[in-house]
This record gives sequence, C-alpha cells and structure tokens, in this order.
Amino acid sequence: MDGNRTTKKIRVLIADDDPVIQALVKRILQKAGYDVVIAENGLRAVELMTDRIDAVLLDLHMPEMDGLACLRIISRKYKGLPPIMLTASDDVSNAVEAMRYGAFDYITKPFNPKQVLALVKKSSQAYEQAKRLRKVEAELIRAREHEFFVASEIQRTMLMGQPPDDFEGLGVASLTIPSQRVDGDFYDFFKLNDHTLDLLVADVMGKGLMAAFLGAAMKSRFLRVMNELEVSSGRQAQPSPEQIITAVHAGMIKQMEDLETFVTLCYGRFDLEAAQFIFVDCGHVRTIYYNAQANKITLLQGVNMPLGFPEIDPFKQIIQPFSPGDLFVFYSDGLTEATNHEGEMYGERRLTDLIFKNAGFENENLLKTIRQRIENFTGSKTFDDDFTCVLVRIDQPLNRPLITATDKLEIKNDLDELASVRSFVRNFCETVPVNRFGAKPMDNLEIAITEVVTNIIRHAYKSQKGRKIVIEAESYAEKLVLMVYDWGCGFDPEKVPPPEFDGSKHGGFGVFIIRESVDEVIYSRNGDGRNCTGLTLLLRKEKENGV
Amino acid sequence: MEFKIEKSDDIVVVGLMIEALDASNAKEFKSDIASVLIKNKKVLFDMSNVKFVDSSGCGALLSCLRQLNSEKGNLKLMGVEKAVKTLFELVRMNRIIGIYDNRKEALDSFKVAAFEK
Repeated sequence: MDGNRTTKKIRVLIADDDPVIQALVKRILQKAGYDVVIAENGLRAVELMTDRIDAVLLDLHMPEMDGLACLRIISRKYKGLPPIMLTASDDVSNAVEAMRYGAFDYITKPFNPKQVLALVKKSSQAYEQAKRLRKVEAELIRAREHEFFVASEIQRTMLMGQPPDDFEGLGVASLTIPSQRVDGDFYDFFKLNDHTLDLLVADVMGKGLMAAFLGAAMKSRFLRVMNELEVSSGRQAQPSPEQIITAVHAGMIKQMEDLETFVTLCYGRFDLEAAQFIFVDCGHVRTIYYNAQANKITLLQGVNMPLGFPEIDPFKQIIQPFSPGDLFVFYSDGLTEATNHEGEMYGERRLTDLIFKNAGFENENLLKTIRQRIENFTGSKTFDDDFTCVLVRIDQPLNRPLITATDKLEIKNDLDELASVRSFVRNFCETVPVNRFGAKPMDNLEIAITEVVTNIIRHAYKSQKGRKIVIEAESYAEKLVLMVYDWGCGFDPEKVPPPEFDGSKHGGFGVFIIRESVDEVIYSRNGDGRNCTGLTLLLRKEKENGV
Repeated sequence: MEFKIEKSDDIVVVGLMIEALDASNAKEFKSDIASVLIKNKKVLFDMSNVKFVDSSGCGALLSCLRQLNSEKGNLKLMGVEKAVKTLFELVRMNRIIGIYDNRKEALDSFKVAAFEK
C-alpha cells in the first residue's frame, strides 16, 4: 500500500435490519480502524452509497429493498465495487445467486470476526484495483486519441500538399479522409516550371505517428534530392523521375530497413509540352488512366518494388502520352480495400467502372461521386484505411474549351412537351455559326433529343406525374453538347435489346436511333440520384457514315 | 386528329395533317386511323405535312402496315420529308414500307401489285 492510501481511512457501508448485527459488525470494523456507515435497509443503503465508500456488506433479507436488488443497483452504478453478502446459513443458494450478480463473497451468520475483516480488506483492495485499472484505461484512450490527433494533424498539414489551382493546362483536385488510425497516406505536387508538374502519391506501411513521421521524412527527402540533382546537373535539365526515386531510395533504405517498413508510391511528371505522363511506380495501386478520345480506360502499372525493399534492379520509368480531356486517377488502397458488411472489398474493378461511366463529370463532382459510391458500398461514412484520391485532368488547349453559346430549358415529364424540346434545340442550333453546321446534324439532334426525353418520361419516371427534366445546351468551337438531366430511375443502355429491323417489334429503336444520330452518348448517374444523358455532336467534319 | 381523305379507285389517300408524329401523339394517331384501316385495303399516307417522326411514330406506321397486311391489304407512303426519310432508312423501314416520291408513282405501284397477283 502506498503512503497516500494509509492516511485515508477505509469506509465500509453495512446494510442490515438487525440492530444486533449492526452493532457487532460496527465494533469489529471500528476496532480494526475502519470508518463505518450503517443502513437499516436496502433502500437506505442505496441512498447512503457514495464514491467515498470502499466496501459494502449487504444482508440478503432486509425490508424495503432486499440485498439482491440492492446489490444490482450498487454494482451497476459503482463499477468494480464488489459487495459482501451476509446471509443466514439456511439461505446459501441466494448468496450464491448474488455472486453471479457481482458479489465478492458471502458470510453466513453467525460469523467469525476475522473472516469479516479479511473479506472487507480483500474486497476494498479489489475495488481499488478496478478503479485504478479504469483510470489507466481512460488515460490510455486519451493518449491514443491524442496520438491520432497529432498524427492526423501531421498528415493534414505536412503530408498532404495543396493541389495547384492555377496550373494552366491541368485541372487537379484531391480528397483525403484520414482513418481512425492514420495510415500514412500522403501526396504532394511540385511545380517545376510552367508546363511541368510533378506529383507524388504514397502510402507508408504502418499506422499512426510512425507512419506520419516516416511520410514527413520521405517528403523532405524528395525535396532535398530534387534540389541536389538540379544543382549537380547545373540546371541544364530536370532530374528525371527515375533519377529522383533512385536517389530517394538510396538515402532512405537504411532507415526503412531499421523501422522494418516500406512505402508504395507513384511519382509522376506531367509534361504538357511533350504531352506525356512519365512515371515511376513502386508497388502502388494501379493508376487509372481514362483516354477521352478513345473512351477507354487503361490501368498504369509499374515494374518496381516498393521503396524499403532491398532493390537490386534499377528503377524504371514508363511514359504514357496523353491528349486534352484525358483523366488520371491516383488513389490509395483505402478506396479499393474498403469492405462491406459481407467482407467483400470494393475493388479495382468497381472503381474502374465508376470512373469510366462518370469520366465526363468535372473533378469535384467526380470526387464526390466516388466517395458516395464507396460509402454506399460499405454502408459507413468512416473508413478503416486512409482514403486518398487525386484527379488530374488534361484541359483542352487554350486552358479551357471556350463555350460559344449556352442555353437551358426546364420541362415537365409530359410527352406534350416534345415539340417545345425540339424547337428549343432548333433555336439553339441557329445560334451556332451556319458554315459549320449543315441541316443534317440539326435533324440528328432533334431526333436524338426526342428519343432521350421520351425514354425518360416513359421509363425513368414511369407513371409519376409532375417531375422535371432539364436540358442544357452548350456549343464549343468544334462540338455541340446537349445534357439532359432527370431524377428518375437509372438507365443502363446495355440492358436494352437491339432492335429487330423486320418490323416484327419496335422495341430498342430509341436507343439505337440516339446512338446513330450523334457522335457520343454518355449516360451517368450521380450520388444524388440525378441521371445525365449527354449527347455530343462534332461540328468539325461532316459525318461520313450514320445518318 | 385531322386527316384529309380522298379516294382514287379502290385506293384511299390519307393526308396526315400533323407536323410531327412522335411519342406525344402516336397513340392518338393509331386509334384515330383505325376506322380508315378497317374500311380499306389499299392505303396511301401522304406525309408531306409531317416534318418530324421519331421511333414511336415509326412504331405507329409499322402497326398500320401490320394491320393492313393481315387483311391482305397494303400501306404505302408518299411525300416523305428528307429528314424523315433519313430516319426511315436508319431503322430500315424503307425495306418494309414502299416509299414513293409522288402521288402518281405511288398509285401506280398499287396497280402493278394488283396486276401481278
């Protein structure tokens, strides 16, 4: 016992309706130097209970409230306090029952004073232990929370770089949600000159402070290496991504081996002059590359081991050419390894499909969609792993495509609106320079928009009345785009059977006509349940085939 | 729905007095034209007022054709606008329904068909 506790007298609550027992026990305990509080029934015992009571003796049979009920109330409120039961020798089964509800032990009357003293001492010690344990646990939780706070602050302020918002030619956006453990995800952007932006996305194996600190150390190593390489090359040329990674690896391998950890990363360079993405991938998740013109997804995989592995082969970089409109999606395994209630992971396949279907969304909207879809999948708004996603979109030349005209129409989901939809499109087409636009494409847009709106009214909204459809028209130098929005059921054009051309049935013609009438059709649905059908008609050249 | 109906021998020429035949009026068209199809076997639709047809419109025309065919009759079209014709070609309707540039050709085509029988 420490000195502090001996100065504080142990206080014992005795609950018994028999004045003889009260007096007897009181005398035994006071003689041994304890403070004693007497209650004449269970109800009174509950009233007299305080934090200052160190041990409790309860008679099983008392008026007002019996010992068992009293025991349950006290042990619920004072966690870890184990009362000692007093019982007549013919009532041992009730005493045993009391043990199941948290009693420390029982004493049968008439009792031995030494036994009373020994049990009171032991039970008060057990209570003291339990209280100390709870305090230590609470401190541990606080310490862990503090560590998480510090680690996530390091991650937020030092590890996550700000995406540049003024880099001409690239649209960059990022999203991070730290997990309750901080996994050491990090990313940063280095603007080398007006047409070159380097991007680093990495994931440290490990959690909490260690991962956060290693991430910070690695980032500062990158900056140092880039500086040194640039100085040594006499500012003649930018150090290549493979040179940078090789130098970072050489500088950090010892520490990483000592810490028994490793880092997966992708270090890439967007060179707008060469229209190339040059990257070194070290065991990171595959970057999703969406080629806008081909409307195709490619997964960019590297050939290198994660940093921290004893690498013998030299690091190799890979070149991926790009064109305006293309999209690169960098992410951490927190996205693909997000798990639902059945233990199934979200997976690369789902993420790739999602990007493919929504690649037309602007960056922020796409990030929101990705997050919502994964939250819907896991059924949770928090993640077990850090959730990091960076989007880089190659802008159209001249930074952004210039919209030459724009217009908007809102209608009810009523087939009687079809004529006004067509006149809206016709009027809009008339604002587009005539020399670029023959009568044919205009007819095509009219038929395509009629089919799209009809499908929405018939299938997306089914029999619902009073819903709305919004049509936005935009024209650019080289194309004309109609976006049709509705808030009905989603639509999968893949599920529509192809049409029969022999007149035997006329299903499937609408979707077929839409596809044949315009250059591009994109169906997408965002997390808020808004469907978008995008129709694009290229103005540059006369279509050779089709309508 | 308004139709301009003329007879030429046993052929009935129906002028469609609508600007568009689309999802908004295809149903109405089918029910209003039904009485004409019951009474006649050789039917020629004059489409020269119709500036726009969509897939529902195509469906309505096909259902007229099917109805007439089942009674050993026939449906032909004349005065089809260029844009409408392009759509008919896209969904290959031109292979199932005879489309003629003018009234004489269309009327003659019924006679040839009758003669061949």
